[in-house]
Amino acid sequence: MIKTTARELCTLQLRVIGSLVLRETRATFGTSKFGYLWAIFTPAASVGVLVFVFSLIGRHAPFGSSLALFFATGILVLQLFNELSNKLNTVFEANSALLTYPVIKDMDTLFARALLIMTTYAVIMVLFFGALFLLGMFDGPAYPERSIQAFFAACLLGLSMGLLNAVITSIWVTWIQVEKVLTRPLFFVSGIFYVPSSLPPEAMAALSWNPVLHLVEWMREGIYPNYNSAVIDRVYLFFVIMLMLLCGLAGERLLRKKRV
Amino acid sequence: MLELDNVSKSYHLDGVRKTILTNLTFAFPADRNVAIMGHNGAGKSTLMRLLAGTETPDSGRIYRHARVSWPLGFSGGFNGSMTGLENVRFVARIYGQDTEAIIEYVREFSELGPSLNLPIRTYSSGMKARLAFGMSLAIDFQVYLIDEVTAVGDTKFRRKSKAAFQEKLERSRVIMISHSKNTIKDYCDCGIFLSPSQLLFFDDIDDLVKYYQAVVGAE
Repeated sequence: MIKTTARELCTLQLRVIGSLVLRETRATFGTSKFGYLWAIFTPAASVGVLVFVFSLIGRHAPFGSSLALFFATGILVLQLFNELSNKLNTVFEANSALLTYPVIKDMDTLFARALLIMTTYAVIMVLFFGALFLLGMFDGPAYPERSIQAFFAACLLGLSMGLLNAVITSIWVTWIQVEKVLTRPLFFVSGIFYVPSSLPPEAMAALSWNPVLHLVEWMREGIYPNYNSAVIDRVYLFFVIMLMLLCGLAGERLLRKKRV
Repeated sequence: MLELDNVSKSYHLDGVRKTILTNLTFAFPADRNVAIMGHNGAGKSTLMRLLAGTETPDSGRIYRHARVSWPLGFSGGFNGSMTGLENVRFVARIYGQDTEAIIEYVREFSELGPSLNLPIRTYSSGMKARLAFGMSLAIDFQVYLIDEVTAVGDTKFRRKSKAAFQEKLERSRVIMISHSKNTIKDYCDCGIFLSPSQLLFFDDIDDLVKYYQAVVGAE
């Protein structure tokens, strides 16, 4: 009889996730020679458009001296969240053929895809903020540890939202479209191109329900020396993350038989 | 090697409940090659997926005391936009095999040549089957699960496949679904007949084939 020890199970798990990440990388970036460049170009273009529009109407940066830096702190965080929540939404459906191999479970495909997106965005952020630093628009993060925390919080929120999406989509396919419509306003309500703390209290209170706003504020408190957000509530943010993770994982377990 | 303990499995589709297996307890004899026969829709493929572990039973347990393959004869696990080689490399990795050795074996066995560097979507079904078959032979499983593999390729390749598989059978066992009397007799020495109400075990493969022909032929 073959005895499977905890150690063997761990190496099997790592092996499966590792192979899936490599496969996912190939599928995401391998189709064209400029795959990697595209991944970096897309957020850069969004920041570029905002900088262009704001310069055109002669506006200064809402905070700090650089428009590009201010928008980047918002857009990169929002896009990391969006990418996770959108791409994970379709992960069960996209990888169902892989379940032919009994060693692969569909949660493995979800974690592998999430890992790739997180790594990609870590690279994008380092490159982007690094470029601004070299161009003299950025003096380096005032509190690097806060920026890193904000990055991981964004990963967690994106992962929990993505998992919940994937579970809902597995019983109701229309959710793919509905979710896209529901998350579109995030661009306007996440403090991307304004400082939430400078809004009227009623607006602040309304916007503070949006967990992504807290992520953006967290990132800015790490980037700028004296950002001092009046809105940020980390306890609320983690409450939302834990709640979505709980629902997502419970839903995954309960619907597992239905999905296969 | 493989044991089913009080296993039940049913599906719900559009409000219809279809029961495939009910409280089935059965131990696959070790060191025997087992055929699975039955009517269409009797649940043979479901049983195979349960044995492989790609599906879980509604209740009961399945014990696998051996390294069991995925249900072969199925190329659904290939990613169409990736090349043949990339797909082989992926499977070798998840099974923790020496990637280069597996690739060498598949390259030699499948005779696909430069096509291995092309995306799977450009493959014909015959080419896919060659690749899938080569890949499963390259990995050393103790039990091969084969779901209705009709012979693939030309006569030469078929002969080669058969030889390679016979060699495997010196060390590994096979559990096979087939409707073909000849295939069954070539590979298996005992078998089960699966019907919605019961599972019958036949110690002699000839008895199973006779029973199968009597039951299915009578309809």
